[in-house]
Amino acid sequence: MAIIEKLLTMVRGTATEAGQAIVDKNALVILDQEIRDADAELVKSREALTRLMAERNLANSKLEAKNGKLAEYSDYIQQLLNKGDQALALDVAGKVAAMENDIADDKKLIAGMDTNVSKLQESVRQAQSTIDHLKRQVDTVKATASVQRAQESIAARSSGSNARLRTAMDSLDRIKEQQDLKDAQLSAARELEGQSDDSDLAKRLEAAGVKPGATAAQDVLARFQQKPSG
Amino acid sequence: MNQNWTTETLFEALKDSDYCKAGQITIDLHHGSEQVIHIEAHDHGDLHMQMLASGGEVHVSTVLCHAEQVRDRATFNDACLRLNTLYPLSSFGLSKVDGEDVYTVFGQLSARAPLANVIEEIHTLGHNAVQAAGELHPHLH
Repeated sequence: MAIIEKLLTMVRGTATEAGQAIVDKNALVILDQEIRDADAELVKSREALTRLMAERNLANSKLEAKNGKLAEYSDYIQQLLNKGDQALALDVAGKVAAMENDIADDKKLIAGMDTNVSKLQESVRQAQSTIDHLKRQVDTVKATASVQRAQESIAARSSGSNARLRTAMDSLDRIKEQQDLKDAQLSAARELEGQSDDSDLAKRLEAAGVKPGATAAQDVLARFQQKPSG
Repeated sequence: MNQNWTTETLFEALKDSDYCKAGQITIDLHHGSEQVIHIEAHDHGDLHMQMLASGGEVHVSTVLCHAEQVRDRATFNDACLRLNTLYPLSSFGLSKVDGEDVYTVFGQLSARAPLANVIEEIHTLGHNAVQAAGELHPHLH
């Protein structure tokens, strides 16, 4: 059964209050068991592989010895034929034929062993990879549980009247407040800048005719008043 | 970095990093039943994160919101799953804190990852969490 199915089966029917803790606890128990199983599997596969490779090497050295004998007896046949001892050559040829059949069987056996060796090597590789994945999963479950406990302890420490675990929503509010404050400061600064600007004063000075180059209404009126009438 | 980070070596490395020295984050090592690094991300509205190394993994997590703040859980879950595909390096999660469901945003990386990657993970998580908060805010009470 897949781990997730096992977990769901276990969690199904448990009170949701404790649900998460059960998930984490059971997840670890299940994962630990899976790792032990996979480890045992790996040990078995490795042992089988070692044994098979030893058997294969043994069979191969026997084969080499047989090949040596075969070469030796083949050589005898040639020598006997050269001497004209047809009868003995035939006897030896009978032995060589039997040896050749034996060697062919051995070769088949070794080829079969080679196939099994590579199958076992593959299963060792797979078992190792399964264990690596499971261990990684244990790390994840443990990390999640630890973070959760840390968050619980923060929540416990800040458990005042309205104090709660700080969330990203709170940070969003904080950022908005900061932005609002910045905006308010900026517009206040602009307003201040407008006030301190010389333009307002300059306008009043101009209107009063004090500012150089400016003509005030009073001056204009005065000019008319000074003109000789008629 | 050929050796796996532990929570403690990670804390020391972060403390010495420019990221921390420049004041983008404040970190704190808590020794409870296990060590946890508490991070306050000043670039992201002082967002709180919890980080630790566990075996082959570095895990960093932040709380998005409390489930009881959510108006319609099914709609919210749907929105979270859809958003999940848009955010780099972070994932959405649901876990139970003190018997109460909380939505989390978290990141995981190899405990052999260089410090620069860890910092990138923290920074991205902060950004993603605040972005997600903005996207999902209308779904809250």
